[in-house]
Amino acid sequence: MNTLHKELTRTVLYLDGISVSFDGFKALNDLSFVVEPGEMRAIIGPNGAGKTTMMDVITGKTRPDVGSALFAGQHDLTKLDEADIAQLGIGRKFQRPTVFESHTVRDNIVLSLAGKRSVFDTLFARAREEEADRIDRVLDTIRLADRAGMMAADLSHGQKQWLEIGMLLAQDPSLLLVDEPVAGMTDAETVQTATLLKEIARDHSVVVVEHDMSFVQDLGVMVTVLHEGSVLAEGSLDHVSADERVIDVYLGR
Amino acid sequence: MARPLLLILQRIALVLVLATALIGGSAKAQSGPSVPDLVSRLAGADFNETERVVEALAASGDASVARLLEALGDGDLYYRRSDNAVFIATRGGEGYLLTDPLTGASAGEAGRREVAKVRVNNSLRRAVRAAIGTLTLRSPDPAIRIAAAQSVLKSGDPEAVEPLTEAIAAEQNDSVRAVMERARAAAILNSDASDAVKIDAVKTIAAKSSQDTRAILLAASNGASEALGSAISDAVRRVEGDLALWSAAQNVWYGLSLGSVLLLAAIGLAITFGVMGVINMAHGEMVMIGAYVTYVVQEIIRNHAPFLFDVSLLIALPLAFAIAGAVGMAIERGIIRFLYGRPLETLLATWGLSLILQQVVRSLFGPTNQEVGAPSWMSGAFELGGLTLTYGRVWIIVFALVVFAVLVLVLRHTSFGLQMRAVTQNRRMASSMGIRTNWTDALTFGLGSGIAGVAGVALSQIDNVSPNLGQSYIIDSFLVVVFGGVGNLWGTLVGALSLGVLNKFLEPYAGAVLGKILVLVFIILFIQKRPRGLFALKGRAVES
Amino acid sequence: MISGRFLRLTGTSGLILLACLLAAAIYVPVANQFIDPGSPFHVNTASVVVFGKYLCFAMLALSIDLVWGYCGILSLGHGAFFALGGYAMGMHLMREIGPRGVYGNPILPDFMVFLNWESLPWFWYGFDMFWFAMVMVVLVPGLLAFVFGFLAFRSRVTGVYLSIITQAMAFALMLAFFRNEMGFGGNNGLTDFKDVLGFDLQADSTRIGLYLLSIAALAVMFLICRAIVLSRLGKVLIAVRDAESRTRFIGYRVEHYKLFVFTVSAMMAGVAGALYVPQVGIINPGEFAPANSIEAVIWVAVGGRGTLVGAVIGGIGVNLAKSYFTGALPEIWLFALGGLFVVVTLFMPKGILGLISHWRRRQPPPEPAAETGAPSSTAAEERA
Repeated sequence: MNTLHKELTRTVLYLDGISVSFDGFKALNDLSFVVEPGEMRAIIGPNGAGKTTMMDVITGKTRPDVGSALFAGQHDLTKLDEADIAQLGIGRKFQRPTVFESHTVRDNIVLSLAGKRSVFDTLFARAREEEADRIDRVLDTIRLADRAGMMAADLSHGQKQWLEIGMLLAQDPSLLLVDEPVAGMTDAETVQTATLLKEIARDHSVVVVEHDMSFVQDLGVMVTVLHEGSVLAEGSLDHVSADERVIDVYLGR
Repeated sequence: MARPLLLILQRIALVLVLATALIGGSAKAQSGPSVPDLVSRLAGADFNETERVVEALAASGDASVARLLEALGDGDLYYRRSDNAVFIATRGGEGYLLTDPLTGASAGEAGRREVAKVRVNNSLRRAVRAAIGTLTLRSPDPAIRIAAAQSVLKSGDPEAVEPLTEAIAAEQNDSVRAVMERARAAAILNSDASDAVKIDAVKTIAAKSSQDTRAILLAASNGASEALGSAISDAVRRVEGDLALWSAAQNVWYGLSLGSVLLLAAIGLAITFGVMGVINMAHGEMVMIGAYVTYVVQEIIRNHAPFLFDVSLLIALPLAFAIAGAVGMAIERGIIRFLYGRPLETLLATWGLSLILQQVVRSLFGPTNQEVGAPSWMSGAFELGGLTLTYGRVWIIVFALVVFAVLVLVLRHTSFGLQMRAVTQNRRMASSMGIRTNWTDALTFGLGSGIAGVAGVALSQIDNVSPNLGQSYIIDSFLVVVFGGVGNLWGTLVGALSLGVLNKFLEPYAGAVLGKILVLVFIILFIQKRPRGLFALKGRAVES
Repeated sequence: MISGRFLRLTGTSGLILLACLLAAAIYVPVANQFIDPGSPFHVNTASVVVFGKYLCFAMLALSIDLVWGYCGILSLGHGAFFALGGYAMGMHLMREIGPRGVYGNPILPDFMVFLNWESLPWFWYGFDMFWFAMVMVVLVPGLLAFVFGFLAFRSRVTGVYLSIITQAMAFALMLAFFRNEMGFGGNNGLTDFKDVLGFDLQADSTRIGLYLLSIAALAVMFLICRAIVLSRLGKVLIAVRDAESRTRFIGYRVEHYKLFVFTVSAMMAGVAGALYVPQVGIINPGEFAPANSIEAVIWVAVGGRGTLVGAVIGGIGVNLAKSYFTGALPEIWLFALGGLFVVVTLFMPKGILGLISHWRRRQPPPEPAAETGAPSSTAAEERA
């Protein structure tokens, strides 16, 4: 019991026996999955494997039918809502870039900064010096410092993806969930994004869902293969791509 | 509406007159001495002679002598000394006003000395009363016989037991006899018959549960013996239980009736809003267009081909579908297609459109209510157990269900239905498989609007046909669709019917307006509890 | 001179608006009192009342813009908040009549005497006091909005669903207020007011006073809205409008923000209604009609939503047009209004102000953020 507890508290994310079904369709089927502190993990899997549903469960958007989901070994994610979970320190990037289009790039970051989130705090909030520093650092990291005053709507697709990642960084989460960060990016942007994510992974735990195998190769991290709502294989990319079942799933039987 | 109604009434009256003439004719053929002869014998007659005349009059079965007998019982029957003619006389002016005892026609005046009363005593009065009862109970007209029996049922006059027993023995008509038997039982309860007979009578009365039954039984329980009293209270309890059931059933009926109206109004919306996700605030105006099509069709028929009036609604149905559908398609192509993906703008634009459509109709037909008549097969009512059902409502329920069923079949079993579902589920995929998505959008919207038009034909029968007709349905229809679960036709069906029933069950306690308010509040709270409605589609949904 | 901070608060267009209001505040009373009635520059008292009415509509539009333009909540029930504020004011004015009513009852308003009521219903207590009525003007709409919003936003009723249930709310309230048993005068509503705080409501001076008060209230409301919109909270509101789930996933309790702005906005609508009633002299259940609420929305759309100044322009401009048309070409008005709904949504989604800034910059304004993907299925894509 004690050792198990220690085991748990050492993990950032701990999913055990999670199942979710929609109208009889099992999106997740007894999924178990652990992320260690400081780890970057890539998740791959064919369409409908349950990648997005898994993210929904972790961020409180979807409630699992059964199973437990713990954050930092102590917070039961199945009982909290999105705002709670975000404030605990889990950031999520959507598949399609979603930023606040009618705000400037800078304001997008300002809104995401870790800090008080209540109605009256924001009503009377004032811009502070240390905030400005943090914002500049984030803007540097995501390579948008020279576009800080631009409307987010006017950014290119790839820049929006980075802005969204920047917003996650500003939130200063201990775990980042990143859903298909390079979808629709040019090759150059893809490489830059890989570098960016590796930078971020130095002091955050990151889970990346991606289809793009060369991008996963670039990341060079442990890979989990999902299929029909549960884990099919886990290991390095070379290891899993040698796995018979993974080949079956991807190439068809 | 007035003209056809009058026509129908005339027709009905004609049939009645013919029927009574036939029956009356055959009855008269059997009678003995003529009624006027009998009447003239009353002048100056002694009590015995008068009684004989009364009996003979009663046996004649001629309903026209009832007035005379009543006057005799009341002491208003006089004869003129000069010519022994018999009159009903009432005091007035210098002397008496005379009326003919058989026809009721005025027969001038007479001085106080010129006329003398046909004298009556108590035993004669009893005979007169019995004669009146017998007379009407033996009337050749079954309606009069039933009315006579029912008046006994109400009064419970114990004197009526005898004549009723005789009338029952002679009665050929089952339904009339049933009423007579109940009347006789009611009379027995007030007579000095033995408990055993009375308990039998209680059973006869309690066989039919109505408010009257309950009142008769309760009246009879006064001063009843123990055995009879317990029999009565048992019967009353059973009757009250039945009554509660019937009143609940009547409420369900009213509720289903209201629900079918809601269903009709909402069913087109279930397509445009539920399936396509387009919020069309001008939906009510499609209903209104359907109602006005009915009006125009009826106007043309009235002026050019009155014999077609009974099928006017059947003619209006396809026209309403076509016209409302065409307007709908025009709206989709002209406005809504530019606003896909912007539901709030769609809402505002279609609201504006609804104002324009209302004003167009107002300019064309004027702001007042138009008269839309009911064909003969939709008027009238019938009884089913303790329920009163009007044909109009029955047809509307049937019609709503038929429209619903047709729609479900179209969506499920036609290629158009398949394409429509394909487009709404995955537009790009459908388009790449060769479906003309634009065309499908227009047709789908046209279908929803056409159905609204068809609903308008039905609703023209129960609502005022005015430019505001549609507005009164729009909020209800949206609530029904959302309550039932967007994108789910069956949800709309269940939602409409259950809201209708809920409304009608609240009405007796809260009144009509408050009942409606309570339903609105209920739906608002319900939607907040289950934003996706009763039958939510999990996972994918029209999200805003 | 005007300090930089104040200019930042008002914005350039806001400053122009305030200047116009100030000008109207000076010119109209002067033109009414001191310019010869024969002169074309004279403003008669009836017009003063009409202008005062439009100012109240502008306040209503402002309150709608705050929730719709900035937070994306299309409320079709703001007319109800307006009417509730109006009724609270009307109840005070009824009590002010005192024994001067037709029946001369010192406590009961005429309609209650007419209905043979023995005593004042409990919810009429306190309305004889002006301050109490003023608290209720804000509190009643605010409380209703709070409870309604609490339930709706907690269960994430959004978009057209929210619009529909706010409309149902207004409709239910209208039905309720039509009932005599409710104790608000039923069909006829509240009317025959005599005076307020001792000032005769028919007097020119009172009318001008109410007009000036409406201008002041509009200006203050505008500044409050600007302050809210410019604060970080305002930024969160816009964030909610643009990408609600993004806002939630960076840790904001979206429902709290919506609730706040919805409640504040309902209170503003209540104040607008309270100023409206003494000027028009009547409040009846017709004010709750869903059509009124949705018409107020179009004022905002015409002026340009999400601009505040546009809401004021729309509220006054559309009503000026309405007065003109209903007087000159009554048949045409509904066509014009209906056409306005269609044209604005199809061709000028940013309203008049959007057109102006478009012309000035000579470059296309950024596309408005798509609020949903209606016929296509966003949810399905997200899950896949």
